[in-house]
Amino acid sequence: MDLNALAGWMAATPLSTWVNAYGWIWQTAEIVHFVGLALVVGIAGVFDLRLLGFAREIPVGALNRLMPWAVVGLVLNIITGVLFMFGAPSRYLTNPAFQLKILFMILAGLNVLAFTLVYSSRTLGLGAGQDTPSGAKVIAVTSLVSWFAVMYFGRMLPYLGDAF
Amino acid sequence: LLTLFDWLQNTALATWISQSDSVWVYPSVLAAHTIGLGVLVGISAVIDLRLLGFAPGVPLAPLERYFPIMWVGFWINAISGFALFAAAASTKGVQWIFYVKLALVFAGVILLRLIRRSVFRNRAIVDVNVVSSDGRLLAAASLAVWAGAIVAGRLMAYF
Repeated sequence: MDLNALAGWMAATPLSTWVNAYGWIWQTAEIVHFVGLALVVGIAGVFDLRLLGFAREIPVGALNRLMPWAVVGLVLNIITGVLFMFGAPSRYLTNPAFQLKILFMILAGLNVLAFTLVYSSRTLGLGAGQDTPSGAKVIAVTSLVSWFAVMYFGRMLPYLGDAF
Repeated sequence: LLTLFDWLQNTALATWISQSDSVWVYPSVLAAHTIGLGVLVGISAVIDLRLLGFAPGVPLAPLERYFPIMWVGFWINAISGFALFAAAASTKGVQWIFYVKLALVFAGVILLRLIRRSVFRNRAIVDVNVVSSDGRLLAAASLAVWAGAIVAGRLMAYF
């Protein structure tokens, strides 16, 4: 796949023009992106820690009820993230920090899929004080590592490579 | 005060952060500040949402164990924030938006302490897992103040 050609195509779209038309669009999207970050990392993180056995008195299923808020955060960040990408495609697509960020997002996504398919039925019914299977703990660690890596490489984006 | 900012900006630590040839120094401090935000505001949001009535099946008492983790996030950001400020004290120090952010973070920490005292240290609430209207008000204020701190913090890049 020719990333430069793709970047050129994206830069020529009306969406790209719109994102760059006013300074406030980018600035507002950045603010929303940080709010979404806090929702995703906070809710996923607390859930992961429960799977690992921290604050074990919390029933797993009860905590899972906050997950729609993490999804809200994720959707906000995908929308604003796509705006950034279209706004400055050549800065993103070929940037090593961006590529690593996407890689860890895919890992986090596959990890959620694995949890849903294999461990949700075995963990969401667990009540106060009950321990999770060790496979669920592996999922929890993978989730924590992926989201922290997504934040780290996201913030390193303007500084790794020579795109910015 | 301006003299103080100039002095701060010219200390060895500040010049190392702002002028190091390594691409890792300034960005890594910035990344630490973002990660601390995720930990502090993210966990605070979980607690606030619970107090507001979402996920009512989550018992309150064990949530108190997340406070020390939030303080870790806070101290990561107090230290990284001081370093970022020192690196550009003479420009950040004259931004009014910086003082708005500082005030909002201060308010956020005060609200967390109030929530801990009036909700989590209140047996009448924790034992029955029913949050009072005061508790819900504190939670809503906490969410609003953290959102405001994020807005002000982001806008510092543009003032």
